[in-house]
Amino acid sequence: MSPVTASSNARRISRGFAGAFLLAAIWELSVRGFNLPAYVLPSVSSIITGMFADAGKLADAARFTAAEALTGYLLGCVIGIAVAVGVSMVPRTRSAVMSVATAINSVPVVAYSPLVLLWFGIGMTSKIVMVAVAVSFTVFLSTIAGLDRIDRKSIDLVRSFGAGRMAVLWRLRLPTALPLIIAGMRVSTVRSVIVAIVTEMLGAYGGLGWVIYQAVLQIDFVQVWAAIIVASAISLCFFGVISFIEQRYIFWR
Amino acid sequence: MSLSGLSRASLSAAKAGRFVPILKSLIWIAAFLLLVELIVVALGIRPYYLPRPSAIAAAFLATPQAYLLSMWRTLLETVIGFVAGSLFGVAMGVLFHRWTLLRELFFPLFVVSQTIPVIAFGAVVVLWFGNTLLAKAVIAFYISFLPVTVNALLGFATVDPRQVALMRSFGAKEGQILRRLYLPAALPQIFVALKLASSLSLIGAIVGEWFGDTTGLGVLLLQAMYNENVVGIWVTIVASACLGIGLYGAVSKAERRIVFWGAEQ
Repeated sequence: MSPVTASSNARRISRGFAGAFLLAAIWELSVRGFNLPAYVLPSVSSIITGMFADAGKLADAARFTAAEALTGYLLGCVIGIAVAVGVSMVPRTRSAVMSVATAINSVPVVAYSPLVLLWFGIGMTSKIVMVAVAVSFTVFLSTIAGLDRIDRKSIDLVRSFGAGRMAVLWRLRLPTALPLIIAGMRVSTVRSVIVAIVTEMLGAYGGLGWVIYQAVLQIDFVQVWAAIIVASAISLCFFGVISFIEQRYIFWR
Repeated sequence: MSLSGLSRASLSAAKAGRFVPILKSLIWIAAFLLLVELIVVALGIRPYYLPRPSAIAAAFLATPQAYLLSMWRTLLETVIGFVAGSLFGVAMGVLFHRWTLLRELFFPLFVVSQTIPVIAFGAVVVLWFGNTLLAKAVIAFYISFLPVTVNALLGFATVDPRQVALMRSFGAKEGQILRRLYLPAALPQIFVALKLASSLSLIGAIVGEWFGDTTGLGVLLLQAMYNENVVGIWVTIVASACLGIGLYGAVSKAERRIVFWGAEQ
């Protein structure tokens, strides 16, 4: 990294934090200035105090949700990539699989939540299934797009050197597709946490969505906001990890 | 004469060419539904897990009014949120492009705001705006504006600074440069985001209705879930898919009309 981009990066990051502090200050001041009741908008300081007061409960819920999101995410990535690779290996199945996938994908993903809850109960399984469904479509579509990018001539060249189908897939198709696959995986991170929380709100034994739902029923909006902040923190960490892997290992894009 | 006949013939051929893939997918979907129907009947799968597609159609036809009213209500919420979100998204794109300081201060916050689970935010929004159509539209708005801002910024960045300099040298005002140069250049990118935003705002509207309302697809979903009415859930799923496809199709059609020089197809 050249010093110029490093310094502009540092400036961007410091400006970003400045913006966050500015927003927090405006928020705090307007809550105090207009004397807003906590159910309309709690002050930043009271949310932070609330987070420390409920730290144990929030940490448990966060672990619960993170476990669901992560399991579903990994499952979804494996399914999405496997189906896409399968379709590209057997091109004749393509139009059938794509039509069915498009049909299933045209339903807003949250509409499946009630069905999945009925099918898999209100334990962790239903959330894992929902996350896997949501993630696998995004990853499937980006993998297909990545595998399509390949140049026909390169395949012919590699094959002329005697490479078999698997070698073409492993040495040529997947490396070419990887940047787009990872991009799809990066977008899916935030989605996976959100879908887990949305499904938890409809019925669960624990997790951030459940905490939020309980807090709404008790009109405890400090706790709602505290859970919201924990949820975004999880999403951001998850997003950061995948972005880091992307920048570190996909050096050939 | 013969030339115009030729071009008309090729035009209709092109039109038919556009419909062939649609027809093909329709046939695939019909075949798929038939297959599901046969499998369900053959294996004796209980309707609780998977009702026959024909049962789903029958359930819709039994009370079409309830479903159509709900679709209309959800459509209204979605469209209001989508239009507001798109306009706000483009406006923010323009502001962020024009003032770098503003972008550096607040753009990261915009991105972070999208990691807030919409349903948690929904609880707060319903409290602020009451259980009204507006509250759902606000949720749809909130979930849909960011992709538009991001893609508008991407599109603005592709404009050649020399073109801006040229227009300026002819005395063009800022507004004219924006309208004549920046917006047309960014439109293909913006439309990519609009298609995404249309499906996102539908999700926002459905989730927003979960906080208690009387009509809407989200309400039907919850009612069917509490009654363990799996057929009802499926009818609602199909209904929301139709809304989603319709919105997406409408935006794509607008795209072909407006971005006739079409970078994206």
